[in-house]
Amino acid sequence: MSTEKTPALVIRQADFSNTSRVVTFMTREFGKVACVAKGAKRLKSPFDAALDLLTHCGIVFIHKTSGALDILTEASFVHRFKPYAGELNCLYAGYYIAELLDSLTEPHDPHYRLFDESVPLLTRLEETPNWRRVVLRFELLILEETGQLPSFDACALCGRLLEDSPPAATVFIRSGFICPTCLPDATAEDGVSRPVSAGTAHILRVFSEDSNTWQDLPVTSAQAKEVRALMNLLIAQTLGKRPRMHGYLRD
Amino acid sequence: MNPYGPSVTRLIDEFEALPGIGRKSAERLANYILTSSRNEALGLAEAIRAVKDAVRACGECHNLTEKPVCDICSDERRDHQVICVVEQPKDMNALEASGAFPGVYHVLQGRIAPLEGIGPEQLTIEALLRRIRQGGVRELVMATNPTLEGDGTALYISNLLANDPVRITRLARGIASGSVLEFANKEMLADALKGRQSF
Repeated sequence: MSTEKTPALVIRQADFSNTSRVVTFMTREFGKVACVAKGAKRLKSPFDAALDLLTHCGIVFIHKTSGALDILTEASFVHRFKPYAGELNCLYAGYYIAELLDSLTEPHDPHYRLFDESVPLLTRLEETPNWRRVVLRFELLILEETGQLPSFDACALCGRLLEDSPPAATVFIRSGFICPTCLPDATAEDGVSRPVSAGTAHILRVFSEDSNTWQDLPVTSAQAKEVRALMNLLIAQTLGKRPRMHGYLRD
Repeated sequence: MNPYGPSVTRLIDEFEALPGIGRKSAERLANYILTSSRNEALGLAEAIRAVKDAVRACGECHNLTEKPVCDICSDERRDHQVICVVEQPKDMNALEASGAFPGVYHVLQGRIAPLEGIGPEQLTIEALLRRIRQGGVRELVMATNPTLEGDGTALYISNLLANDPVRITRLARGIASGSVLEFANKEMLADALKGRQSF
């Protein structure tokens, strides 16, 4: 047993007893951690107001090596998630981020970049009603961090850069873009294929780059629709099921 | 080897299914039943049967009651133009204990928690909308829990009623009476400042 301290985001919670809860955190230093928070439902608990969903907090927990749930000893509140005023989709986008953090990461497998970028993305959902942009950036980020991002820069089969690709391209859900020359060689292992416009292909590349260019990239409503249909399919295939929040996120 | 007979094992299993009861506690409760008199044991069984047979949701507010309409909803002295929306009957009991609310209630029977598979269709939101649109409701007080999901549920309902002529308010939040500013967290202080009132 060791006592650990780390910044964290609350991504899931469930009642454990009349006064205690099991809280799942995405921590910066230790990845996903599930802790028993004894007395968390009492008015005077040692956890401040830090255990609400999507709250950014600092936690201290006792790590159990036996595989049992860790024990939360302290939680200090840093920032409570407050979605953009009156915008339910921003709230649902926050829930979606929590759902993906919970389902696509493994316990005690840290992803520093994922944590460091998730916090400001949640903040953007408080400042702007444009949840689609934040959600796309997060989806591509978590897929990259968990090693499941298809290739958008080069042909997944021959490796040729696709900068000079024809106006429309074909994306395969598991592998990524496949150039017209290699198209006949694609197999079922590359996943379901979807034709996408050149504009959409460009959006996917820019949003998955490690820069801030995505924030100002113009996206038409038709492109946003095409990207959303593609990403919904990609995430559902990666998870092996349709995420719960896909049914809630809509215009 | 099962040290108990099938009927005792079943009783232990039933007790173990209750919240907060583990196997040991379930065995202790089963032993209590076995050693108590027949009248005492059957009295408990009868109380459980009676509560399941008699208690139902109020036809107006969905609070638990043994009548078609609960005592609060049938009380003519209460202000039926003001409805306080709560998540659970226990929240309503807490507000009633304060003695400060003269209106009536609506119990949602939960909150929208999509990550737990609880959507608006599983709550009594439709019944609330019908109640408001029948007319005569002046104000809706949102008293869902001050959590992200509680606030989200209140936001969902207020969005549905955006075009209805009803005033929507929510409970004040901030510093608890009797506490000191030094130990209040910044969220509490920010809420208290936002919701400050004239003397």
